[in-house]
Amino acid sequence: MRRLRDTAEAYALLAPSLFGFLLFLVAPIFGVAALSLFDWNLMGAPSFVGLDNYRELSADPEVWRAVLNTVYYVLLNIPAQTVLALLLALALNRRIRGGKVFRVAFVLPWMAMPVALGIIWSWVFDPRYGAVNQVLGMVGIDGPNWLTDPAWAMPVIASVNVWQYTGYTMLILLAGLQAIPHQLHEAAMIDGTSPAQRFFRVTLPLLRPSLSFVLVTNTIGSFQVFDTVFVMTQGGPGGATDVLNFHIYQQGFQLFRTGFASALAMVLFGLILLVTAAQLVYFRKRTVYDFS
Amino acid sequence: MSRRIAIPAIAAAALLSITACGGGGSGDSGSSGGTVTLRYALWDEVQKPPIEQSIREFEKAHPTIKVQMELNNWNDYWSKLQTQLAGRSAPDVFWDHVSYFPKFSKEGVLTDLAPLIAQDKVDTSVYDPKLAEGWKVDGKVYGLPKDWDTIGLFYSAKALKDAGLTPADLDGLTWNPDDGGTFVKTLQKLTVDENGKRAGEPGFDPKKVKQYGLAMQAPTGQQDWWNFALQNGCKLQDRPWGRWTIDQPACVQAIQFVQDLRLKYHVAVPATVTNPPNGPSLDQVVGRGEAATAMDGSWMLRAFDTALPDGGFGVADLPAGPVGKGSVYNGLTEAIYAGTEHPKEAWELLKWLTSERHQRSVAQAGAVWPGITSLNGVFAEAWQAKGVDVSGFKKAAEGTTMGYPLTEAADTYNVKALDIFNQVWLGQLSAQDAAKRINDEANAAIK
Repeated sequence: MRRLRDTAEAYALLAPSLFGFLLFLVAPIFGVAALSLFDWNLMGAPSFVGLDNYRELSADPEVWRAVLNTVYYVLLNIPAQTVLALLLALALNRRIRGGKVFRVAFVLPWMAMPVALGIIWSWVFDPRYGAVNQVLGMVGIDGPNWLTDPAWAMPVIASVNVWQYTGYTMLILLAGLQAIPHQLHEAAMIDGTSPAQRFFRVTLPLLRPSLSFVLVTNTIGSFQVFDTVFVMTQGGPGGATDVLNFHIYQQGFQLFRTGFASALAMVLFGLILLVTAAQLVYFRKRTVYDFS
Repeated sequence: MSRRIAIPAIAAAALLSITACGGGGSGDSGSSGGTVTLRYALWDEVQKPPIEQSIREFEKAHPTIKVQMELNNWNDYWSKLQTQLAGRSAPDVFWDHVSYFPKFSKEGVLTDLAPLIAQDKVDTSVYDPKLAEGWKVDGKVYGLPKDWDTIGLFYSAKALKDAGLTPADLDGLTWNPDDGGTFVKTLQKLTVDENGKRAGEPGFDPKKVKQYGLAMQAPTGQQDWWNFALQNGCKLQDRPWGRWTIDQPACVQAIQFVQDLRLKYHVAVPATVTNPPNGPSLDQVVGRGEAATAMDGSWMLRAFDTALPDGGFGVADLPAGPVGKGSVYNGLTEAIYAGTEHPKEAWELLKWLTSERHQRSVAQAGAVWPGITSLNGVFAEAWQAKGVDVSGFKKAAEGTTMGYPLTEAADTYNVKALDIFNQVWLGQLSAQDAAKRINDEANAAIK
């Protein structure tokens, strides 16, 4: 009886967020899945086309280009961001003077508006008047046209996002580092291990819960990159930064092919699901959650 | 812990993919305390100041109407406007372009002005018939002319002088797909490398060019290859409202010529600088001395005047091609959203925007050639007073012209052209392949 009451209470407490979850997350996913079977220009009546949208997208070179661009972006973004954040977290994990100030400073970009940041970084990377090329010019380097050169546009976008999200990743890794019990390091030291050994044999394995969390969530976020691309390059030059999410926007809100865009969204959804599942399987086998 | 976070995060992934990017309308047009606020949408920053000034006059004359201007650049304008139309929150009055007109008239989102014109006895004979006619369908009138434009060759007076040329040397130039003709010869004289060598001279280093002869930039083709296409006998479509034919040889040659100007002759600013949407506008490129001339539209006069003030620039005719001279000719209209909550006030605003008084003040500011024929002189005189002869634009309009293609596939063409031609100008795609791809995609989009 008591158990029943507990369960009822739990559900009652869950209900508001469950309602939101169903209405704003689950329902739209089914909505998009359904829309992907239709041809609809947002204004007229939708017409059912079955799997035509999927057939079309699998044969569309621009879709494949968008998939490759997205993967390229994730590969540029995630390793750089994670390693950088880890190094920062290790540095800030010591008790140093002004450590808190640094912590706040590194997290600030994460709290700023991505669109505003995109505009500011576009100025910074302006080939003639931007700070980057001005500085390069001082040391005699003729900087490239960052955002109109197809070879540079994506690395620039990736670096802007690395800059923006490293602080946040660092914060979570720092919390993970601080949760590692001191005695373990001390015991390892008494056993005569080198600092490198301690890092790879003690710190890194025990940091896996935090690492897996940031890797999974950041990878999902990276696959969904949109705002920086939208503000800084609009998918250009010549499609060099046309990532999946931007392509979805273009099909949906510039060409008004809502059904096709929904099918693309399902592809992105599937892609993220696959990558996330692989990550989770990998980390589940290797992660220790209990330090005691 | 990671699992619990991950599942809703993945769920959010699909949802955000589709919802996060919608640009909704603010929909805050409305009336309060007897005052009506109208939303007026436009895309050209250069024209905005004189228009805004005139609109303040309108508000003074109509104390119960406030006008809120909504400015978005060309690309964002159309995606935003169409999303707003779908969401039934479009601006009350907006600039309309002939490339979107077919779609809009079909979808019934434009107000038919014919009954209003009849009721208020508006004299529509003052507008250039060439402008007004295109906006009538089955006796319905979907917009009144705002302006017209053609393309010219803007030049920096200083760059010309430094090369030992006079403005007269830019007259009567011709080009051809084989050796570029006198047009390329002249541009070579205007292209200088860091050692002071000019293109075509021995020792010229095409990798270290200080000033190029020509700058081009066009999201659709209006300011660059369409003009060469017309001069080369190419037709973009088999007939108005028909199928695209830009994969035909005369068209491909024109596209090839624009690529050649950059990659073969090295006389045009590389695409890594000028490609839209990130490249600087051409008044900037010429203004800071990176190019001697630029192909651009008459609506850019004020921008060039800011970049090269006090007679620092002039305008020459475009060169002639194998079949003769020619320029793209286009005009915009002011249109009223069919779903406006304030049709009466919107009509008052539209009447003002297409009135002699408003178009005169905009012409006096040198913003755009006016839709009212009798005011063309006002515009020409305004520029004459600044020492700039703009009569070439008018001559071009009276000569061989090509309008914007009339098609339902404007969205597809515009989006694809931006992406695909950028690649051609960069040298990543051949003119032939690009033409075929755009042609196929645009034709597939015609229902």
